[in-house]
Amino acid sequence: MLPPGKSPATAREASPTPSLTKRKKFRPAGDTAQQSLSLQAPAAVRNDLAQATSAHRLWLCVHLPSLPLEAVMGTGSDGVCAVTEDQQGLQRVLLASTEAAAAGISCGMSVNAVLALLPSLCLEERNPAREEEVLKALAARAERFTSFVSVEMPAALLLEIAGSLRLFGGLDALRRTISDDLQQQGFTASLAIAPTPLAATWLARAGKRVCIRDRKNLAGALSRLPLGCLDWPAAITGSLQGMGIAVVGDCLRLPREGFVRRFGAGSLLQLDRALGRLPDPRKCYRTAEVFCQEYELTEEQSDSELLLNACRSLLLELERFLLKRQLMVQRVRFSFFHLQQPATHLTVGCAQADRSIEHWCELLAIRFDRLELPAAVIAIRLQGGRGQPLSTSTGRLAFNRDGNRRQEPLMSHLVERLSARIGDVSVHGIMAVAEHRPQYAWRAAKLFEQPPQCQAVPRFPQEPCATPLLAELRRNSSLLLRRPLWMLPEPRPLDTGKGLPLYQGPLKLLDGPERLETGWWDEDGIARDYFVAVNPAGMHLWIFRNRDRESGWYLHGMFG
Amino acid sequence: MNEILEKLLQSPRLWRGCGPAASTGWQGLRSGYPRLDRHLPGGGWPPHALTEILLEHYGTGELKLLMPALAGLSQTAGEDPAQAVGWIAWIAPPFEPYAPALLQWGMNLSRVLIVRPKRAAEALWAAEQALSSGNCAAVLVWSERMDDVASRRLQLAAENGRSWAIAFRPVRDLSCSSAAALRIRVSTGDKGTDLCILKSRGGRPAVIRDYASAPEQ
Repeated sequence: MLPPGKSPATAREASPTPSLTKRKKFRPAGDTAQQSLSLQAPAAVRNDLAQATSAHRLWLCVHLPSLPLEAVMGTGSDGVCAVTEDQQGLQRVLLASTEAAAAGISCGMSVNAVLALLPSLCLEERNPAREEEVLKALAARAERFTSFVSVEMPAALLLEIAGSLRLFGGLDALRRTISDDLQQQGFTASLAIAPTPLAATWLARAGKRVCIRDRKNLAGALSRLPLGCLDWPAAITGSLQGMGIAVVGDCLRLPREGFVRRFGAGSLLQLDRALGRLPDPRKCYRTAEVFCQEYELTEEQSDSELLLNACRSLLLELERFLLKRQLMVQRVRFSFFHLQQPATHLTVGCAQADRSIEHWCELLAIRFDRLELPAAVIAIRLQGGRGQPLSTSTGRLAFNRDGNRRQEPLMSHLVERLSARIGDVSVHGIMAVAEHRPQYAWRAAKLFEQPPQCQAVPRFPQEPCATPLLAELRRNSSLLLRRPLWMLPEPRPLDTGKGLPLYQGPLKLLDGPERLETGWWDEDGIARDYFVAVNPAGMHLWIFRNRDRESGWYLHGMFG
Repeated sequence: MNEILEKLLQSPRLWRGCGPAASTGWQGLRSGYPRLDRHLPGGGWPPHALTEILLEHYGTGELKLLMPALAGLSQTAGEDPAQAVGWIAWIAPPFEPYAPALLQWGMNLSRVLIVRPKRAAEALWAAEQALSSGNCAAVLVWSERMDDVASRRLQLAAENGRSWAIAFRPVRDLSCSSAAALRIRVSTGDKGTDLCILKSRGGRPAVIRDYASAPEQ
C-alpha cells in the first residue's frame, strides 16, 4: 500500500536493498521534499478519525525511574542500597541509590564486584509483583485528579487531564499538585504532558519536563528523543543505531514501507500513534469498589492500644476511599493475623451506614474490649462491606437563628453502641402482624424500618373526646378481644387440680372461650380455646387448652 | 420577704406535712389514673427521674399501671423513624412484650426498642446508655440485681438525658436504700391492684387501694 503522493521512484528505492545502500540514500539530508513525502504521509483516511478521537485529549505521563528501588526499599529510604536483577544467569545491579552511585556502584555491575567495592551495601532482589502493587496504589491515588488513569506496566502512569484542567486551576497548577503529591510520598518521578499517550510516555521516559498542548508541535519535540526511551526491543534499536539513526527524528525520515519491512508493522504503528496519526486507545484503570487493605506490623504485637491505633489508620484509609466514591458502608471486617494461629475475625456493623471515622473507632473500641486474641498479632486487614450511596443531611450554619440549638443525637448511634456490646440479634424492635394465631401475631422487627401498618388489631381511639368510650372499653373487656401485654416465648403446661388449672393456686376462668383455629398453610395449625383466668393472687392470665381437651391447660400470657 | 418565702415553698426539697402534693413547680406525666395522679407530686409520674416499682411476681399489673403514660410518650414522637426522640426502651424484659396488646393500649410500635442483654451488668449498662443518650422518652429496665449505686447512676442518667427511668425490682429489695424519686409497691389482691407509695420526692407516702377504679367524687 503506497501512501498517496508518494512517487514510484521512492517506492523503488525503498524496495529491498542492502542496509548500506539505504543508509547512503538517507544519511545526506539533501532532498528534503522527497523525504518529507515518505515520512509525513499518513493514512489519510484514518487521519480524521484519529483527530476526532484525540483532538481534545491531553495526557500526563508519570514515569518512575527508580520504581524498582523504591518498591523494594520503601520510599524515602536513605543509605546505600541497590536492586539486583538476574541477567543471563548472573545477578547484576539494576539500580543503585544515589549514595551507592556516589560510591562508584553503577548499573550492570555484578554482585561480587559491587560487594567487593562496598561491603556494607544493602542488596535486594527486584520484586516485580511489589512494583505492580505500588504502581496500582499510585493509580488509585491518582484517581482523584482524573477519571481516566492507565497503568503502563513497567513503571509509568498515564493520566488524561484535559477534563480536569478547569477544576484544578489550569495546567500548571495541576502539574504542580500531582508532582507535589508524588514528592510528598517520596517517589522520584518525571512528568511530561503531550496530546498522545505514547508521546507523553516517551517524553517522560526521556526525563524531559515538557508540556505540549498542540499536536503540531509533537513531531518537533519527539524528533530529539533518543531511541532508548522508546522501549523497543534491543534488536531493533541496535540495527537502527547501526544505520546511524540515533534519535526519533531520524526514524521519522525513513520511508514507511521499508521501515515496516525491516522493523515490523508494530514499530511503525507506535510512531504513528505517538504522532497522533492513529488512535491509541488505553485501558482505564479502576480500583476495586470494595475496600480491602492490610496493615503489617513490624513485629508481633498484643498491646491493644497499639493495635487500635493501627486499626484507626486503616479506618482513615477507608474513610478516604469512601469519600472519593461518595459511598458509605454498613459493615466492616477486621482480620487479625497471627503467626501460629488462624486469623481472628471481627465484624463491626452499624444500624445505619456511616463513614465517619470517629463513630467506627468508638464501635471498634467497644468490641475490641471484649475480643480475645489467641496470640500476638502480626498483621491486620480491613475489609469494607458493600458500599451504599452516601446520603447526608445539611448541617446548620453557625450564624443561623437556630444554630445554637443542641444537635439531636442520633438514635442509630445508641442502637449501634448497644448492639456492639450485647449483640445484633439482642437489640430489635417489634411489629404486629395481621395473623390470628397469637404466636404469629407479632415478630421482632429491624429497627429503623417503617413497619407495615397493621389494621387487624382494633385500637383504642386516641381523641380526648373519646375518653368515656376508652374507659368503657377498658372496663368492659367483652367489647374487645383482650390480649395480654406479656407473652411467654413458649406456652407453659399448667398442673391441674380438680379439673381446674393451677398457677400459684387454682385459677378462676373469667372470660372465654375464644376459639382460635387453623393454620394449615404452614403446617403449624392450632385449635385452641383461650380463656382469661385469675389466680388467688389476683394475676390475670391468658390460658388455653386444645380443642380435643386431651393435652391439658397451658399458660400463654399475662395481662401484666 | 414574701418573695423569699414563695421561693422556699416552691422548692421540691421542702416537704410540707400538709397541703396539696401537686403544688410542686414541675408538671408530672399524667399516669392515666386520676386516683394515682392525685397522690403524686406534680400530678403525675416524675419526669426525668427514676421510678422504682417493686413487685412480687412479674405480670401482676405493673405494665397496666404504666401503659397509658408510655403510650402517650410514644405517640408524641410521630411516625418518622428517623426522628430521634420518643423511644421507649425495654431492657431485659422477663417475657415478650406482645405487640397486638401494645397496639391496643395505643403504643406507637415504631418507637419500641427491645434489648435483651445476656448478663445483669449489661442490662444496667444498656439502661444507662439509653437514658443518657437523650433519645429515649422512657427506659424500662428489669433487673434482679440492683443496688444503691446502680439506682443512683440510673437516677443521674435520667436527669442528664431528660428521660424517665423505670426500674422493676423484687419486693425483697424493699428495705434497700435507693436514689429513686418515686418508689411504688404494686400488689394484686382479690379486689384489684393496690399501690403503696413508699417514697416520693416532694410528696408523701400513701396507700391506694384498687387504683384503677373510678375516683370517688
